[in-house]
Amino acid sequence: MKLNRVQVAGWVIACVAVVGCQSTGTQGTREHQAHEAEARNMRLVGYNDLQGRTAFETVIVEQNGRWIAYVGHFGGQAVNSLTGQNEANGTSIVDVTDPRRPQYLHHIPTQSAAPMVGGEGSGAQMVKVCAGKDLPKGERGKFYLLRAAGSQAHEMWDVTTPEKPTRIATVVDKLKSTHEQWWECDTGIAYVVSGVPDWQVRRMTQIFDLSDPANPLFIRNFGLVGQQPGAAKPPNPRFRDGHGAFSTGPQGNRLYFGYGNLGDGTLQIVDRQKLLTGPREPTAENLLYPQVALLPIGRWQAVHAVYPLLGMEVAEFARNTRGRVRDFILVMPEAIENECREERQMLFVVDVTNESEPFGVANFQVPEQSGNFCSRGARFGPHSTQTNLTPIYHKRIVFVAWFNAGVRAVDVRDPFNLKEVGFYIPSTTGKTVPSCVKLDGKELCKTAIVTNAVEVDDRGYVYMVDRNNTGMHIVELTGAARELANFSK
Amino acid sequence: MKLRKAWISAVALACAVTASAVLAQGSKPGQGAEAKNMNLVGYNDLQARSAYQPVIVEQKGRWIAYIGHHGGVRVNPATGQKENNGTSIVDVTNPKQPKYLFHIPGDLGEGESGGAQMVRICAGKDLPKGDPNKFYMLRVLGDTAHEMWDVTAPERPQLITTIVRGLKSTHKNWWECDTGIAYLVSGPPDWRVRRMTKIYDLSDPAKPVFIRDYGLDGQQPGAAGQAPFELHGPISAGPRKNRVYFGHGNNKFGILQIVDREKLLNGPKEVTRENLLYPQVRRFDFPTNIGAHTVLPLLDMEIEDFKNSKDSKRDFIFVVDESIIDECNEARQMVWILDVTQETKPLGVANWTVPEASGNFCSRGARFGAHASNENLTPIYYRRLVFVSWFNAGVRTLDIRNPFSPKEVAYYIPAINSNTKPDPTCVKRRGAAKCKIAIQTNNVEVDDRGYIYIVDRADTGMHILELVGEARKIANFK
Repeated sequence: MKLNRVQVAGWVIACVAVVGCQSTGTQGTREHQAHEAEARNMRLVGYNDLQGRTAFETVIVEQNGRWIAYVGHFGGQAVNSLTGQNEANGTSIVDVTDPRRPQYLHHIPTQSAAPMVGGEGSGAQMVKVCAGKDLPKGERGKFYLLRAAGSQAHEMWDVTTPEKPTRIATVVDKLKSTHEQWWECDTGIAYVVSGVPDWQVRRMTQIFDLSDPANPLFIRNFGLVGQQPGAAKPPNPRFRDGHGAFSTGPQGNRLYFGYGNLGDGTLQIVDRQKLLTGPREPTAENLLYPQVALLPIGRWQAVHAVYPLLGMEVAEFARNTRGRVRDFILVMPEAIENECREERQMLFVVDVTNESEPFGVANFQVPEQSGNFCSRGARFGPHSTQTNLTPIYHKRIVFVAWFNAGVRAVDVRDPFNLKEVGFYIPSTTGKTVPSCVKLDGKELCKTAIVTNAVEVDDRGYVYMVDRNNTGMHIVELTGAARELANFSK
Repeated sequence: MKLRKAWISAVALACAVTASAVLAQGSKPGQGAEAKNMNLVGYNDLQARSAYQPVIVEQKGRWIAYIGHHGGVRVNPATGQKENNGTSIVDVTNPKQPKYLFHIPGDLGEGESGGAQMVRICAGKDLPKGDPNKFYMLRVLGDTAHEMWDVTAPERPQLITTIVRGLKSTHKNWWECDTGIAYLVSGPPDWRVRRMTKIYDLSDPAKPVFIRDYGLDGQQPGAAGQAPFELHGPISAGPRKNRVYFGHGNNKFGILQIVDREKLLNGPKEVTRENLLYPQVRRFDFPTNIGAHTVLPLLDMEIEDFKNSKDSKRDFIFVVDESIIDECNEARQMVWILDVTQETKPLGVANWTVPEASGNFCSRGARFGAHASNENLTPIYYRRLVFVSWFNAGVRTLDIRNPFSPKEVAYYIPAINSNTKPDPTCVKRRGAAKCKIAIQTNNVEVDDRGYIYIVDRADTGMHILELVGEARKIANFK
């Protein structure tokens, strides 16, 4: 079902008004506690329901004058309103050229309609897009989409015509898990999280040269020492699961890898050149060779996502002769449990100026009491940030997906002292599915927003997608927060 | 020179009137103090001696402040004699009118190489084998020795014994009054660093019993490679918490060492790598430009905003760097807060600094940066407020009820006076005439009545302060 503008407005009004939004059925006691939208210095521009599919992440690219949002979905199924067919969740393709009127163009289903297993067993959660003109061996004029296909494979698609994507190649298959991907469009190197059967961890990293998208070249497997084939079997195959990498490319020559599942989070700083050209056999020695530093973040936090803030001039230190320009990594753990049945999850700022000695210097939290988030239902805590380093926001504002607290806009100009400057929590809709906890043996469910991921486009629009089927909200900064951004260009 | 009462009143009045005034440039003698939510209660000039550590104890209804001095020579007006800076003893029963009681001379030498900078006091009634009517003072003598004094009559201190001598350095000791165990920062000639720890049982102050030498692996005699940076000082959480936190470094090379106290005191004592590592729970190395001068534990902190999550109670270490170079010719030295709830994985979670622009502190002269915190864990302030000495920015009062988000609620920067001298490193570099004169609040301590004592490295003396306004409401004066 596609919502036109009037319907979107209708939803918003309905949610803002009295009743709250109904949720679709699951068994168990349900406590309807729908919320109207809440905002500060951010406002809703447009909305698409993504056919009611549970969403993991989104990327937005300009394609020959059009702006296209690609959304990766968790497993599940829904009727594709364009075809009338029931389709296993895959990739939504939405024209957001006019962000007020997003047009749903196409849904690329996946093979299996198996419901979410552990949230992440099927679907096509991950999606990255590169333009052929940027890729060293890409075809100019073409656009390429790299996505995960369930937990089995990574695939390459041609999305030059986003209404009619065609599969080009399978990058790798026969995996037991997939997760985050990073694809350097200028070099074609891709770092994809895979589950290779003989590794001693469910998720590690495979590196491919995808500079020619039709002919993927395997470079190497990578992970933490102790995860390689032949290493001692850990008690839990998810111990220090790889969550994904953030690459600063050949110029920065660094990759920041996050590890951890429910905890034991670890940030790994890796020399990209050594990683790509060093010895590739997965021995302990070769895995250590490109490692610059390893920072344990604690038993209670995973390192789910990272965002680099390198070469930051710290205004407060302007008159000190040392330490004025510093490098930082923002570290996002992932809230996992509903209704705060876990340790509080927060964003950490790690100073990596002296990168062999990474050091936590600050944190950012959404005060629980500011919205009673532990009682709203679903998860409360950070998950990820934008990955597009557009100069509109880079080194100024970072948007953090905070599950039931929506998206939080954080002023990062002084990384020692992060400040929230805006937020947007969408209203739930009739498509929002409830989140449940067990209380005295009974299932108690509440309906809440679960903002899973956020991304920005090069125009400055902010896209947030919902894990619990609420869809995609396109928002923009207003007021004092907008003045911090760099819209001058 | 001692300041007269009228002058003090004038200063207090000036403070009240211009409490929030911020000086645009370095102070000159006579210019006013600056303050927010803190008032001057009383003052003593400490005979214009450069001051390091104050401690304040109640002795049979009197309140006595003991102040350890850096090296130097000043006239003692009570005797008319020039005396090497040592230990000042001041009756602060009436904090509005502190009375200078006695000066115990220290060792010859300037700065940290002479004087008697460190001082700790225990009551005999608290010490397992102390005379219940007596009070005992542990102090350093210059860089060479640790001494035990009887200060039961603070006007007439008596040397009881020298615990250890022949050292090449001393510094910030810790003495557990309930057990008598003392961690004496010392420099035995054969160790590879200037400062390590000698542990003594001083439960009977007259009969010190040596327990062991301790330090980081690599500092011991015979070790190889680059030695880890010297110790600054330990803080023991005592037998109940079973932890001793050792801070190493000043404006660089900081290391926090978390040590199992029981294993430290009862483990194998011979100085071998294995034995030094045995009680070590975690060694945490800071980045190179961060020191770890004071490591104050803030344990079992209830985080109000976490009450609906699983981990609302957490342990932190409040780490204070030491600025050592004048006029900001270094990286900013400040406060860092580590979450050590999982103590084998300490994680830096927060920081705090005085905003430089709030007082143009880099141009005021002398050092601008953190140095030390209060260490008396009186329930009036513990887990609520921490006071940090900040050299030319005076003393800063931080609300640390949520250590993830420390906030300043008060400060006090005394006025300089005619005793205040320029920074020695500046004098060496440019000559005294070209050096600015500024307050150098070196250390801070609180007493069990809630008064705050700050002492000055640049000879300005001791200011006794109290919290007022919103900041006072955070404290627990019940």
